[in-house]
Amino acid sequence: MKKYFLLPIATAFALSAQVAQAQDFDTDPVVKVENKNENVKFTIGARMMADVGYFHSEFTPLKSGAALVDARIRTSMSYNDWYFYADFDFSRGKFKQKNIFLEYSLEGDCGHHAFKAGYYNNPIGMARNTSIGSMHFITRSAAVNALGTGRELGISYKFYNDKFFANQGVFAENKYNDQISGFQGVSAGGRWLYRPINDNEKTLHIGAGFHYANISTGEVVKGGVLKTSYEMGTNMETYVDNTEMFCSATLPWAKEIFDVNVEALYKTRNFFVRGEYLYKAITKERDDQALFEADLGSIDSWGSLESWRGGNPLGTNTFMGGYVEAGFKIFGNDYAYSNKDGVLKGLNDKSLEVVARYSFTGLNDLVDGEYYSAGRDQYYPNGTLKDYPATSKSIGGGDMHSATIGLNYAFNKFAQIMVNYTYNHLDRDKYVYDKNFHGVQARLMFQF
Amino acid sequence: MLRNLFQLGLTCSVALALSACEHQDFVNTNEDATRVEVHHISPEMAKVRDYVPQFAVMAHRGSTFWAPEETEAAWRWAREMGADYLESDLQITKDGVILANHDTSFARTTDIENVYGEYVPHTRKDFYVRHGMSEAEAEELYKKDLQSFRPYNAKSYMYEELLALDAGSWFNQTSMEQAREGFVENKQYISTLEDQVKFAEGYRLKRDGEGNRVYKITGKWNPEKPMDCLTYTFEYEQDGPDMWTGNRPGIYIEFKEPWLNTTDFEERIYKELDRLGWNIMTQPADANEPHYKNGKVNVGRTNGKVILQTFSLESLVRTANRFEGQIPMCFLLWEGNGATDLKYDTPTGYADFINMALRYKAHIIGPCIAGAPNNYPEMNAPWQAYLIKKSGMLNHPYSFDSYAQMGKYFGQYNWGNDTFFDDLLHGCCGDGAFTNRSELTLKYYIDHGLRSKDAPQTVPEPMSVLERLGY
Repeated sequence: MKKYFLLPIATAFALSAQVAQAQDFDTDPVVKVENKNENVKFTIGARMMADVGYFHSEFTPLKSGAALVDARIRTSMSYNDWYFYADFDFSRGKFKQKNIFLEYSLEGDCGHHAFKAGYYNNPIGMARNTSIGSMHFITRSAAVNALGTGRELGISYKFYNDKFFANQGVFAENKYNDQISGFQGVSAGGRWLYRPINDNEKTLHIGAGFHYANISTGEVVKGGVLKTSYEMGTNMETYVDNTEMFCSATLPWAKEIFDVNVEALYKTRNFFVRGEYLYKAITKERDDQALFEADLGSIDSWGSLESWRGGNPLGTNTFMGGYVEAGFKIFGNDYAYSNKDGVLKGLNDKSLEVVARYSFTGLNDLVDGEYYSAGRDQYYPNGTLKDYPATSKSIGGGDMHSATIGLNYAFNKFAQIMVNYTYNHLDRDKYVYDKNFHGVQARLMFQF
Repeated sequence: MLRNLFQLGLTCSVALALSACEHQDFVNTNEDATRVEVHHISPEMAKVRDYVPQFAVMAHRGSTFWAPEETEAAWRWAREMGADYLESDLQITKDGVILANHDTSFARTTDIENVYGEYVPHTRKDFYVRHGMSEAEAEELYKKDLQSFRPYNAKSYMYEELLALDAGSWFNQTSMEQAREGFVENKQYISTLEDQVKFAEGYRLKRDGEGNRVYKITGKWNPEKPMDCLTYTFEYEQDGPDMWTGNRPGIYIEFKEPWLNTTDFEERIYKELDRLGWNIMTQPADANEPHYKNGKVNVGRTNGKVILQTFSLESLVRTANRFEGQIPMCFLLWEGNGATDLKYDTPTGYADFINMALRYKAHIIGPCIAGAPNNYPEMNAPWQAYLIKKSGMLNHPYSFDSYAQMGKYFGQYNWGNDTFFDDLLHGCCGDGAFTNRSELTLKYYIDHGLRSKDAPQTVPEPMSVLERLGY
């Protein structure tokens, strides 16, 4: 009798354990409060990451030292097929909005379905949907930092089984509706995987992702024109000095963003290799007529709309990047793969692994033959210096090759230390003397 | 468990020790300046650079302190004070006369607002008729002028129209302590480049009985070639020995921003210098002619008689194309967000501008300096002067208004201590000085042994010179 009484409880526990894995944590919380009568379960957990880093650069120094880079509290509540999750970061003494969402799951004949609403990662991208605590590296790759898509407010639908994974949704362009006025932009994204091999020993997934965003947030400039802008950049694969100054770009008048990702992952019990290719195209849009008219009324006004456009050219910019990561487990539990999220899980229980990564971040979109002045951070078309106006469409955000090797040791399922060496080679006109960056980092991570 | 804790502690200790080993590393501008790459001036360019005397005195607009700037009074005064160069800002009129005016407008330094207001000069139609146009043609041209007219800007006026303006009286109102009746009694005109050259050669304007300058205009107006259809002939008189003591300074002429001038402005200057006998590319001076001779300034007789200068990137390129680095050229620096400014005044950005200047055949960098009364941005700190010196270019900072500024940039205020980059700079952040107070700069040079021993070793009293010149 006792056995039959315990069975539904065990089943409920198992089910809740499955849904309780949020994307920023893939371990079960330890503290659980359960109301069996109401079939309600409440969990609470936390995570801390403290990094220490020593950096060597050729010209502009990076800040070596230690930093508390992640300090989170997570909480969840599940009731039947409903699951609510929230986590908050207060590292560096500041509150930061992280995930907060509600998810409804149901089982179908051929797989699992999940409907999700709230603030969480856009579906596109493998690395972006892998918890930083499960990355096997201290940071995500520079390519993903610069070109990836992060959390957005929206709704999504996910289907998955052993073979297939499809996750797609629509989102708001900003999470607080804080555009100056009018309707905010929207974005949509999806990630689709096929797993030709997926058993206890091996998993192979290949997939693609797509993301579209329409930017409507910006500032109102002369003529009552809304000036949108898009910024992207990456740190030097460290959070100890989180600066993005070396590899970053700002694109005024950005209007539409198109992202395409291709990804693959292969893992065995003690080996994994995975990678992504990211492509981003950014179109521009501007109310030329209104800006031109706003410029009228001065003796220096442009004489015609055509001449104004000639002096203020606008064009689409494209960027690309990618990474390949590999890991080998020396001892410890087998590498685990999440069918639900289509990602590799983190280390679990006592284990030791070595990892390596190569990443390329391409934020240079330069027109051939232009002359660059570092004194003005300006490109001059056709190699010809000109006083006014500036007419280049080049974006010199920097190309960067990054290589990392690392050693990760998990004391148990809660505590882990990581050591990474990262070499970055930068090619950016603005930082002509900053070519080679070396960094040794260590992390102490604790999560429950 | 204990073993794990030990491992954890050990790991953290190693990491922290690693971190503590690093010395505190800040962005250090002086150190960065030693690490950025500046190109070095070529031997051919260095030869032209050496046309320019060391510790030259550039009389900035003649003087902005003692006399109305860029006028006969200011330049004759500077010549007699012993300045090496008479400095000017060149623009061009609608009828092709190259004149000197610093601002983009004549409003500050003349009475144009009273004489013409913001309108096309009322004498314009008459000007056209006097130069070969019918009444109908003159009327049509006048209507066209109305469409493109830019008030107070050189390109909108005939030079003859500008001769109606008084370029001296304003000074008496704004500089009351330096005001002189002579600046009004001897009407000061907007000077031409030819005037500047003649003043440097020891001349003054020839005036008629009423004190007006003597000139004539020949040719017929051609609307298709407005800048090349008329010829002005100006007359000059040699200053007598009571007025000209024998100094022969050179000229230091600035190409203003391209939107103020024509796209062939540099070519026009080339030809005008040729016409005036001051183009050393076509009429080189004796290579052995010294900068100072018989205790007098002699720069105006040497191959260093003309120095070109500009802030403009476009003009820098055009000057390189036309003058081919054969006449000393100064690239002027200003920090800011304007179209020609140095936006990133870091060692990297500063070195980039030096390299850009070398690429386009400049020999001199002209950075602005801090300090009252102008309070310009500081672009001649020791690290900046070091970069210029390292490139082999000359450093001509602008503009000096006080003895204290001279002391700051030319070593006195280092009080004998070694300072940054002293091995190269020897305390001097400059190889010359654009100065509004030639007397102060000359006295400083002489007091501190910087002035050539062949140059005049006494500095005239500024006001007595003005009196001697008739002001």
